[in-house]
Amino acid sequence: MNTPQTVKTIQLLVNGAQIEREVEVRTLLSTFLRDDLGLTGTHVACEHGVCGSCTILVDGRAVRSCLLLAVQTDGTSVETVEGLGSLGDLSPLQEAMWREHGLQCGFCTPGILMSIEGEARSGSSAEEICDEVLSGHVCRCTGYQNIRTAIHAYFATRHGS
Amino acid sequence: MTTSIDAQRPSLVGSSVRRVNDPRLLTGAGRFVDDISLPGMLHAFILRSTVAHGRLISFEPGDSPADLILGPDEVGAATEPLPFVWIAPDQQHLHLPMGDRTVRYVGQPLGIVVAGSRAQAEDAAESIEMTIDQFPGVADSLAALEAGAPVLYPEHGSNLAVDFSIGDEPDVLEAAMAAAPLIVSRRLRIPRIAPSPMETRGVLADWNTGTETLTVWMSTQTPHHVRDQLALVLRLKVDQVRVISSDVGGGFGAKEHLYPDEVMACLAAIRLGVPVKWVEDRNEHFIATCHARDAVHDARLAMTEDGIFLAIHTKVTGNLGAHFSNVGSGPFRVSGLMLPGPYRVANAGARISAVFTNTTPTGAYRGFGMQEAAWVRERLVDEAARELGVDPLELRLRNVITSDELPHLTPTFQEYDSGDYGRSLTMVRDRVQAYTPIVDTNPRVRRGIGFATHVEFTGLGPSVMQEIVGFRLGGYETAIVRMEPDGSVFVSSGVMGMGQGIETTLGQLAADCLGVDMDRVSVHLGDTAQAPYSAAGSIASRSMTVGGGAVVTAATTLREKILRIAAHRLEASVQDLVITEGRVRIKGDPSVGISLEELAEYSWLGWKLPAGETPDLEVKFVHDPSNISYPYATHAAAVAVDLDTGQIKIERYWIAHDSGVVVNPQIVDGQIAGGVAQGLGIALFEKVLYEENGQPNSTTFLDYLLPLASDVPDLVMDHFETPAPHIPGGMKGVGEGGTIVAPVAIGNAVAAAVPEIAGMLLETPLSPGRLWELLRKGGLFDD
Repeated sequence: MNTPQTVKTIQLLVNGAQIEREVEVRTLLSTFLRDDLGLTGTHVACEHGVCGSCTILVDGRAVRSCLLLAVQTDGTSVETVEGLGSLGDLSPLQEAMWREHGLQCGFCTPGILMSIEGEARSGSSAEEICDEVLSGHVCRCTGYQNIRTAIHAYFATRHGS
Repeated sequence: MTTSIDAQRPSLVGSSVRRVNDPRLLTGAGRFVDDISLPGMLHAFILRSTVAHGRLISFEPGDSPADLILGPDEVGAATEPLPFVWIAPDQQHLHLPMGDRTVRYVGQPLGIVVAGSRAQAEDAAESIEMTIDQFPGVADSLAALEAGAPVLYPEHGSNLAVDFSIGDEPDVLEAAMAAAPLIVSRRLRIPRIAPSPMETRGVLADWNTGTETLTVWMSTQTPHHVRDQLALVLRLKVDQVRVISSDVGGGFGAKEHLYPDEVMACLAAIRLGVPVKWVEDRNEHFIATCHARDAVHDARLAMTEDGIFLAIHTKVTGNLGAHFSNVGSGPFRVSGLMLPGPYRVANAGARISAVFTNTTPTGAYRGFGMQEAAWVRERLVDEAARELGVDPLELRLRNVITSDELPHLTPTFQEYDSGDYGRSLTMVRDRVQAYTPIVDTNPRVRRGIGFATHVEFTGLGPSVMQEIVGFRLGGYETAIVRMEPDGSVFVSSGVMGMGQGIETTLGQLAADCLGVDMDRVSVHLGDTAQAPYSAAGSIASRSMTVGGGAVVTAATTLREKILRIAAHRLEASVQDLVITEGRVRIKGDPSVGISLEELAEYSWLGWKLPAGETPDLEVKFVHDPSNISYPYATHAAAVAVDLDTGQIKIERYWIAHDSGVVVNPQIVDGQIAGGVAQGLGIALFEKVLYEENGQPNSTTFLDYLLPLASDVPDLVMDHFETPAPHIPGGMKGVGEGGTIVAPVAIGNAVAAAVPEIAGMLLETPLSPGRLWELLRKGGLFDD
């Protein structure tokens, strides 16, 4: 008789650093990142995959970390907002969001940043991101206009460099 | 006007200074409650009623594997009832008893389970046996008033909780209505809204068994108010409780008071002597955090045959939910107070009937009764224009209070302060006239433009006025502005940042008044151990008017002291000094001066001071404004309505706005844009649904839709500034206006696009399903 396995050891890259951890198999990826790794920049706002606050990149693709289990990231490369830039060295996207007032309370912001970053890297245009990708996120504060402005400003810097 | 004194230096007031706290929020270094962990911390799950009305007849923890389980009896025995804050005339219930075994709504907290993780606490809760004897329930306020309806408080006799009138005496008002040549009357409804900040509520409570003090990190707009209530409810002294609100992921009114589940988390921490964290999940937010709105208005607008308004009245049937919230019938009352809007009417008033139902209590949400007032009034004005056959904007201009009539006392006792209401109307009119509507070859798409205008009550308020209306919150704010021994500037206020950028704008005011750069100033909010007392916190668009006004006066007073000390050191006259580039200098002689660092260092030593001057470079100022401040705006929406699908698209949106002195234009624009987006949600999507018996049907983001990027257009905004004459700095509030006006601007635009159904557009949201029904009724759709 097999007893169900309740814990598993996983290995993954998190923001470029190799991580090995034992996790409960039921642990959500968002919980693993926040509670086990202390990466609290990934925010959880609905836990049912609608709002997009918990979006991170797994192998370069934007995913809802509240809809994945931590064990599903075994052997992958995970990127969170903490890997994007730092206080004194903001990424061009973070810089554009700051300059254009693309955030207010800032709770949804890390998820939006990761979605935009992932889509931009995979070749989407600013228009595609504004029209489609951004609608995968709920922002309750800004009314989205300044986020669109920031996305265009970010793309302008990408093309300028 | 600006507060800048040094003419050589550009004013920081009116400048789009980048927000000081953004870099940390952008890099994931924000500290929201759930981001904070303490050693040995345990996690809580709240036990809630799953039935809408009934009696808990047994609560059996059994052998549940939890660190702590507190049921309703233990919670009730360990706490005092939670006092309500805004008390209506003849309101019989003044407190919310905790641990009541009678349940009156789905989501009512009954107890708490604490374990090593949230998941373990939820597991442990599974094995607790709770048996609830179910009673019939009622969710709708009108149904709750019918004979034979289930009564929530049998000892109260009926579900009619309070019933009172405001404004003109009813007989005076009825006489005015009876004498009027024309009355437009409608029944309008504003549905129930869930405020839905992206961060839900949350608490981390830590009881120090040695000092017997409780430290509570909480996502709240009102740290001091929460502290006072926590102390009272937990039978502690106020100085045993410290509340820290660090980063708050949106509030919008939902986080402006203490909730019973938050008390339970603190009680658990005290019992266990270890830190306990409870973070609300989204499902709980939909059932346990105050909803808002949910009012039926039977409203009348009386006028002459020429469309000159004479009187306005509404009978509000407001849904309180299962018990009074902290503000109770307050939002319904404010609907009545602000019903006249920017129009000249001889008579105005409202009757407020607030009703208990088996639903989550309704409380504060962005707009606080004023969105309802705008929906009612501005729809009536458009309906009047339709009946009179005049242009809706022209009808508004005919009735709007002119600038030379201000200040103006309304029949509902609002003394509008300053501005030019007609100018906001004509500014938007001119924008709209210059607009070329989108041309579409599809004959099944209709287009229209609607207008709406309002005056808003912001900056609560004179404390004496709060006393008159039974609102047990002081209306003042206090600022502390201090130059530290190293010349840096500490600013603290009791208002709270929750995304509105107040950390930045208060810093701008202080820096501007002192004549120093922004990077010299830091603003400290949210910690009751540090911030000056604030009775009301950040509610009612008051942070900048009341809190900012306090900072202006405190910083200006500190500047005067710095100049007096510098004059003594430099053997100059105060009038000859300026503060520039970190130095106090003699005008016209850059070689003579003293650095702020040196001045501050010696002042704090008590050395080289003029006679009679104290060494501290600190000013504390209490600002209790003499009046509310009244910003105003006109909005217009251009919509396209698809007659086949019932879908509404907002194609263009205009705003002309006056919120007094604008401290940071980018932040003010952001407040308006975010407010409009929330108003758009109310107009098109948002409605909390219940079954007739009180079972909630809106408990996830899949069945309660919020506006997304594809729904919200870019906005065209025009500002002008009429300084509030009674506020130091001249600011008026800006947080709520966008939400107040947007729903009815959109509603009026749909009416303009499809006049066949205009008379039926009385209720939001104008979702595709509802609109499609109306289009069928209007003969615009045959199946």
